[in-house]
Amino acid sequence: MQAQDALIRELAVIVGTGSVLYREEDLISYECDGYVIHKQPPRAVVFPATTEEVSQVVKLLHRRKIPFIPRGAGTGLSGGAAPLGGEVIISLVKMKKLLHVDWENRLAVVQPGFVNLKLTNSVASKGYYYAPDPSSQYACTIGGNVAENAGGAHCLKYGVTTNHVLGMELVLANGEIVEIGGVPDAPGYDLMGLLTGSEGTLAIVTKITVRILKNPEDKKTVLAYFDSVEDASHAVSDIIAIGIVPAALEMMDKTAIEGVEAGNYPVGHPPGLQALLLIEVDGISAGIEDQIEEILKVCKQRNVIQVKVAENEQERAQWWANRKTAFPAMGAISPDYLVQDGVIPRSRLPEVLEKVEEISKRSGLRIANVFHAGDGNLHPLILFDARKPGETELAARVGSEVLKVCADVGGSITGEHGVGIEKQEEMRFIFTEEEIQAQTQIRSVFNPENLLNPDKLFPKPSRCAEVRKAVGHL
Amino acid sequence: MSIQVKDYPESQTKSNYLWEDPPDEDKFSACVHCGMCLESCPTYLETGHEHQSPRGRVHLIKAVAQGRIELNAGFEDPIFTCLDCRACETACPSGVKVGSLIEQARGQIRKSIPLTGWKAAVSKFFLRGVFPHPHRLHTLGNLIKLYQKSGMQTLARGMGLLKMMPQHLQNMEAVMPEVKVPVRKKYPEVAPAEGRRKMRVALLTGCVMDVMFGDINEATIRVLVRNGYEVVIPRNQRCCGALHVHAGDRDEGKRLARQNIDAFLAAGVDKIVVNAAGCGCALKEYPELLHSDPEYGQKAVEFAGKIEDVAVFLMNHGYQKPQGTVRTRVTYHDACHLAHGQGVRREPRELLRDIPGVEMVEMPYADRCCGSAGIYNITNPDMAGKVLDEKMSYVPEDVELISMGNPGCMLQMAIGVRKHGRSAKVVHTIQLLDRAYQAEGESGK
Repeated sequence: MQAQDALIRELAVIVGTGSVLYREEDLISYECDGYVIHKQPPRAVVFPATTEEVSQVVKLLHRRKIPFIPRGAGTGLSGGAAPLGGEVIISLVKMKKLLHVDWENRLAVVQPGFVNLKLTNSVASKGYYYAPDPSSQYACTIGGNVAENAGGAHCLKYGVTTNHVLGMELVLANGEIVEIGGVPDAPGYDLMGLLTGSEGTLAIVTKITVRILKNPEDKKTVLAYFDSVEDASHAVSDIIAIGIVPAALEMMDKTAIEGVEAGNYPVGHPPGLQALLLIEVDGISAGIEDQIEEILKVCKQRNVIQVKVAENEQERAQWWANRKTAFPAMGAISPDYLVQDGVIPRSRLPEVLEKVEEISKRSGLRIANVFHAGDGNLHPLILFDARKPGETELAARVGSEVLKVCADVGGSITGEHGVGIEKQEEMRFIFTEEEIQAQTQIRSVFNPENLLNPDKLFPKPSRCAEVRKAVGHL
Repeated sequence: MSIQVKDYPESQTKSNYLWEDPPDEDKFSACVHCGMCLESCPTYLETGHEHQSPRGRVHLIKAVAQGRIELNAGFEDPIFTCLDCRACETACPSGVKVGSLIEQARGQIRKSIPLTGWKAAVSKFFLRGVFPHPHRLHTLGNLIKLYQKSGMQTLARGMGLLKMMPQHLQNMEAVMPEVKVPVRKKYPEVAPAEGRRKMRVALLTGCVMDVMFGDINEATIRVLVRNGYEVVIPRNQRCCGALHVHAGDRDEGKRLARQNIDAFLAAGVDKIVVNAAGCGCALKEYPELLHSDPEYGQKAVEFAGKIEDVAVFLMNHGYQKPQGTVRTRVTYHDACHLAHGQGVRREPRELLRDIPGVEMVEMPYADRCCGSAGIYNITNPDMAGKVLDEKMSYVPEDVELISMGNPGCMLQMAIGVRKHGRSAKVVHTIQLLDRAYQAEGESGK
């Protein structure tokens, strides 16, 4: 208790008393992020307002050997910002300024707590936008997006966060402040590529330079209804096969549609659908109509029940709000849900969905499927009720089984949500022990004492690895 | 897969809500902790603290129900710092009824931790002593009128006596409207329709509204009768109880609700028209408040079905577009309990656009709370002041009028105009419509 008080006092000296939380009731809200299966309150939460304060806080924690976790809005879905026990959370929400927009070079400099959608809103008046658009973009921060290498519906055509970050200011695990990047394609190792998606295990990002893009001249959005998931899946493959790269190509299945229609942003989809596709094409005006024609043709060949093009921006926005709130809308039909984030080769979609359905039947848990179908990024939403004994564990097991299916067809265990706490063990589905070790060695270069977001992202060393190591020493 | 499950199922623990009418489990289990509400919440934007956000508050409400934390001061603070603006309900993808959860939690807190000191005295005096009693309210109104008219106000201002009050109360004193004769005293119980009677409606005159903003009630009656509606002003109506429910005094809120249900159902009207957003929202939620009341539960549903905001009422049942011109630039502020509480955004704007001469200028973040929030600006002056400053930064520079549909907002926005040295006047939407009808007479039509 004495030591805790001393820590709080020292933190308060750096950031001010109003910017440190330490009472039990105040900490309990920080026991999890968007991944609610694991809960553990932090030791304290501290709110630095400047890079210098972040550095001071990190130096103090480094000196005292206290582990710490950077946190943005806490919308992450894999537990990246959730404490495991004893960590101090460094919340970056007070660093929420747009520092600079360089219109000529089409880039913006933001603090890590700046909210994703606010960037687009801030540059919209001059016809620009920020491309990565995770569904939580109303609330999630760009710092968090960098940590998770966040994607979104429009990443099919425009790429994920790492394709849009040009430079960073970092506070290292010892409190040192460094800058990396700044010029495109700098010589030497791609440190920004390494940092983006490192889930807060290598450094704390305190300033980010990102690309902003000119709004496409035109865009058209199509909504297509199907009475079989297989037809919808084939339509997805066909659209890509004929050479169209849609800006977005999204799919929802029957249970997902039930969820969004029960939620706060219903569209009024007809009842009894098995699947729907939301397809958007954008670019220069010439050619858009032709692409739409071809897409409509493909849908018809694949037995679409009904297909329509958004008549105006209002209708388009309504379709997107419906899709983008799909995960949380599940709250309207189930007390809890667990979202998975598998990636598969697009061509294996029907087969994988069939296996997911089998897992659902076997476990007795309903699974709603929402996915970025264009890039094969599945989001099975496993619906459960945490109040029923054992159901939380069952949901976690089902999630793991689904990821195994994805890995087995040559896919991956995460597309954009990160590994965090949730998928640590599943890393073994795609990496060998040696590959995991190689990565933890890289981590040790930046984070030698494992103080930065400790024990996340990689599985705990397995028994056999330890045995092998021990044997090696003999 | 090794998952350490650190949740605490309710079945194994005991709720720390010990009184009847606790926060509904169905409502808080709908929250999936996604965080989409964060950026809509004025107190989160101000503090950056998770427990001062809708998601954090719902998490705490759930934690008390699971017996994980006590019903103590640490819980009381975030629950009472909530403005009850319900912007989070608009943002929430799964439709969590945050406002209602907060109100239920407040009910539990007030039973567990009764107010003490000056807060208890002020609360008891106003919430139990004055608001529910029309005569006492009128007496208070007369006292304020005496203060305003007798020269006392001039004297107090001149002698600098007001400087002894906290700044937020000084601001409030400065913008307090001149007390008018309440319509309950000025009008008969039934105001007949002009021309052919289209419908018989009742008007909720409100408690503070009728004393401080009697002219808005008068404008509402003039507009309604001009459009062929017979207006009943039930004499037995009382304060709607919203302030009580917000403050955690659910018993008094329920008592007032029952009395209003009796008063209005006896009036034999098709619709009950309300010109105060907060009151309208509260009346529509009587079924929720009285859901376990065997006698009034069903009556509350019938009652709530008749409630319509005045702008919605005119749009739904017809009104004559005014011919008189009001040449002015107006911006519209969405009262939280219209936009978020009742989903009313379009109708008031259409009313304004229909007035010849009115130029509408949209305000960014028009549905962001102004910080009035019932009596929040008195109980939480610091936070209310910050929320107001934020709101004022969005009010377009060059407007002459800021129009809205809630008296609490009108007082708060008037304080904002004064505090920020702006020149715009604050007006109720229906007053502007009334002015346009008056102008018809002036131009000889």
